[in-house]
Amino acid sequence: MIPALDVRDLSLAIGGARVVDGVSFAVRAGEVLALVGESGCGKSITAFAAMRLLPRAVTMTGGQLLLEGNDLAALPESRMRRLRGRRMSMIFQEPLAALDPLSTVGTQVAEATGLRGAAAREAVLAMLGEVGISDPARRIRQYPFELSGGMAQRVMIATALIARPAVLLADEPTTALDVTIQAQILDLLRRLAAERGTAIVLITHDMGVVADIADRVAVMYAGRIAETGPVARIFAAPRHPYTALLLAALPRLGDAPKAALAVIPGQVPLPSAFSAACRFADRCPLVTDRCRQEPPPLREMGADQLSACWHAERVR
Amino acid sequence: MTAALTVADLAVHYPVRHGPPVRAVDGVSFTIAPGETLGLVGESGCGKSTVSKSVVGLQAPTRGSVVVDGVEIVGADRRTLRQARARMQMVFQDPATSLDPRMTIGAAVGEPLLVRGLARGQALRDRVAGLLAEVGLRPEHATRYPHQFSGGQRQRIVIARALALRPALLVCDEPVSALDVSVRAQILNLLVELQRGLGMATLFVSHDLAVVRHVCDRVAVMYLGRLAELAPRDALFAAPRHPYTRALLLAVPEPDPAAQRAKPRVPLAGEIPSPANPPPGCRFHTRCPMARAPCREQEPAWRQVGESMVACHFAEEVNSPGVDKPGC
Amino acid sequence: MRRLPLSTLLLLAVLLLMAAAAFTAPWISPHDPLRQSLLLRLKPPGSVDPRQGVFLLGTDDLGRDLLARILCGARASFAVAMLSVAVSLVVGVSLGLVAGWVRGWAAAIIMRLVDTMLSIPAILLAVLTVAVIGPSFLSLILVLGLTRWPRYTRVAYASTLQVAAMPYIQASEMAGAGAARILLRHVLPNIAGPLMVVATSEFGLMILFEAGLSFLGLGIQPPAPSWGSIMSAGRQYVERAWWLTVFPGIGLFTLVLCINLLGDAMRDQLDPRSAGR
Repeated sequence: MIPALDVRDLSLAIGGARVVDGVSFAVRAGEVLALVGESGCGKSITAFAAMRLLPRAVTMTGGQLLLEGNDLAALPESRMRRLRGRRMSMIFQEPLAALDPLSTVGTQVAEATGLRGAAAREAVLAMLGEVGISDPARRIRQYPFELSGGMAQRVMIATALIARPAVLLADEPTTALDVTIQAQILDLLRRLAAERGTAIVLITHDMGVVADIADRVAVMYAGRIAETGPVARIFAAPRHPYTALLLAALPRLGDAPKAALAVIPGQVPLPSAFSAACRFADRCPLVTDRCRQEPPPLREMGADQLSACWHAERVR
Repeated sequence: MTAALTVADLAVHYPVRHGPPVRAVDGVSFTIAPGETLGLVGESGCGKSTVSKSVVGLQAPTRGSVVVDGVEIVGADRRTLRQARARMQMVFQDPATSLDPRMTIGAAVGEPLLVRGLARGQALRDRVAGLLAEVGLRPEHATRYPHQFSGGQRQRIVIARALALRPALLVCDEPVSALDVSVRAQILNLLVELQRGLGMATLFVSHDLAVVRHVCDRVAVMYLGRLAELAPRDALFAAPRHPYTRALLLAVPEPDPAAQRAKPRVPLAGEIPSPANPPPGCRFHTRCPMARAPCREQEPAWRQVGESMVACHFAEEVNSPGVDKPGC
Repeated sequence: MRRLPLSTLLLLAVLLLMAAAAFTAPWISPHDPLRQSLLLRLKPPGSVDPRQGVFLLGTDDLGRDLLARILCGARASFAVAMLSVAVSLVVGVSLGLVAGWVRGWAAAIIMRLVDTMLSIPAILLAVLTVAVIGPSFLSLILVLGLTRWPRYTRVAYASTLQVAAMPYIQASEMAGAGAARILLRHVLPNIAGPLMVVATSEFGLMILFEAGLSFLGLGIQPPAPSWGSIMSAGRQYVERAWWLTVFPGIGLFTLVLCINLLGDAMRDQLDPRSAGR
């Protein structure tokens, strides 16, 4: 089966800095892939690249973007524009900023259908009901400022999914929301992925969100994939020191209060200072000379798990 | 021993041009003992940040009393307030905006000592170097500007400035929310270490229950301007007495796929009502999975159940086994 | 410190050259700007007199060297513009800081005063005031300085409101700093950028105002030269002696254009969205 979205060896540069360097991942219909990492790791820009919505300063220097088998990089912009929203759509962290303040909810959701009049209205009402908006007939007449954050995110999801795209890119969709609302939105995304067979790429920094909703995980660090695999394996047996430390640095509801948390020394390097060898070397407890000389390739660690670490076997 | 902080019946109402005032905080009371850390949690708009601003005197309350280290600051004149502020300091959420971009960090950290005439010249520089060392920075950092530091380092600088006067009470308003996971752990470790070393009382405001559990001794849960529950940490996390606390705890996604997916889901219906027009009776009844007739009419009393103080008519039932009825 | 673009450096160079020429006028001037000679009336540019030498830009109706008068007039223009900008900057920024910090009634009074001032045509106000107190160098500065402060107040007020809400200001309050220290050490440096942009464009305007008032005979008084009065006098001879109006006009145009372009460049440099902040 062809993956809904297959990103192969994607490289992006800002000026001379390679902000994303050889990133590959694939997501199948109905699957949720989490792209997780700290700020500046390149996870959001990767999603924008997949939509071919890169800011002017960023150039794609290599790789393929296959949407249902078709290479997006080769498409003219006019064809690409038709695919966006139809076969692939995106939702954002700040739903209220992503909605047009001057048009009603109904108009905005209908725009993505390409339908008009009664047919459009019917489709919109059905879709709003599906994303859990109560009293959709009243909501379609409202303007974005009348919506709460959670409601606005539901409207965004309705807009993104009404044309039944194969892929939904969700960039930190619950980061701006409260936990109780976040739980609702995550439940909704999981249900929609299963019911409609949408492939979801979820970009997040929150390991809790990953644990809740993802089927597979790709952990990014400094523009590269550090480790990727099924969610249970990544959490239970991480094979990259960065993943292991990231998980140990989290305060958890089950651990001893006030005990020292694991710390990753130093900080994420700036893109201009990205190393050609392992980019985590300067902060890594397992570092050896080899790590500073050769970039580690992604290696098969069994059970569909890949790790880009020379010492993957020694992690933990 | 007197409390480091006593807040009694605090209320902050914002007037609105048309319609009733927004009751951001509406009758909140708690105390913090010296050396103790109290967590104040709740969702956005519940009033937790307004409480923290009122405690340090940056927001004038509509009514109530705030006593810091024995000094009443509500209605205090400027001199009393200035003196009281030497005993309490604040760490803000966003380290990017809590340092003056045009001032060296040495000047920023030394400002409390300088303006109060406690140190100057070489003595001031030595004190600043000591404070920077205390938060894990080097003395030569003093001559640099905020933009030369990362987010985590800036939060360390902010903490150093807050410690300069050796306050009796430290108010932290979402101090790690703007930081990445790896940096957040560093700052949390530093805060825990400083609490141990300096014996400050801390009011720790946060929306993140895992973080609050990690650093706090007691936890207060706010909903719509009121306290829903106030309990020792372990009691609150093991046996929440308010249905809202319980829903919050279950809504926190845990970084453990198996446990997270096995958890019962307690969907809270709808959204937080407007604080300008809070529901009658129990403020939580519109979203409460346990709500019954008395909840809609009668405000629940603030009462003791087990180790916890709670405002719920049916607090005793919150942890009973049958609470997650199917379809509930 | 970020490197300035070449175009900005070029503008700065032209401006500094003009300022230097203006302030060293008494020393570099080829002739005495006040020395009259009826024999040398309205000589065209480049005329040579065996005894007095070359008149590079020609002479005026009283036989005075135009180049010397333009240089000397530039000095007057610069002095008036700088001093009046300084006066209005101090008055305007002080009022804006107070309004933005105290808010409430103080802001209401100050900002209504600003609205009132801005609704009166400035040139009319200046003409009336000079007509009442009499024209002189000092009254020119006072009139311009005390009518042009509202723009600074507006900008200072809005910026102060914005900066005062920043956590670092609250932190400073928590540290125990008084209002004076907070305003001078924290607020002022952080609102200086937009104020400098306003001051630059006002500087250009002041030069135009001074020329305008002098043209009307309400500014620098004859026989002291000023670009406005030179052009005013040259008006009658436009057909016979074009140089009397054209050369001071070119000077005025170049100077104000440079200042305005520099103001734009400064705004771009100070934009927080540009790199390096």
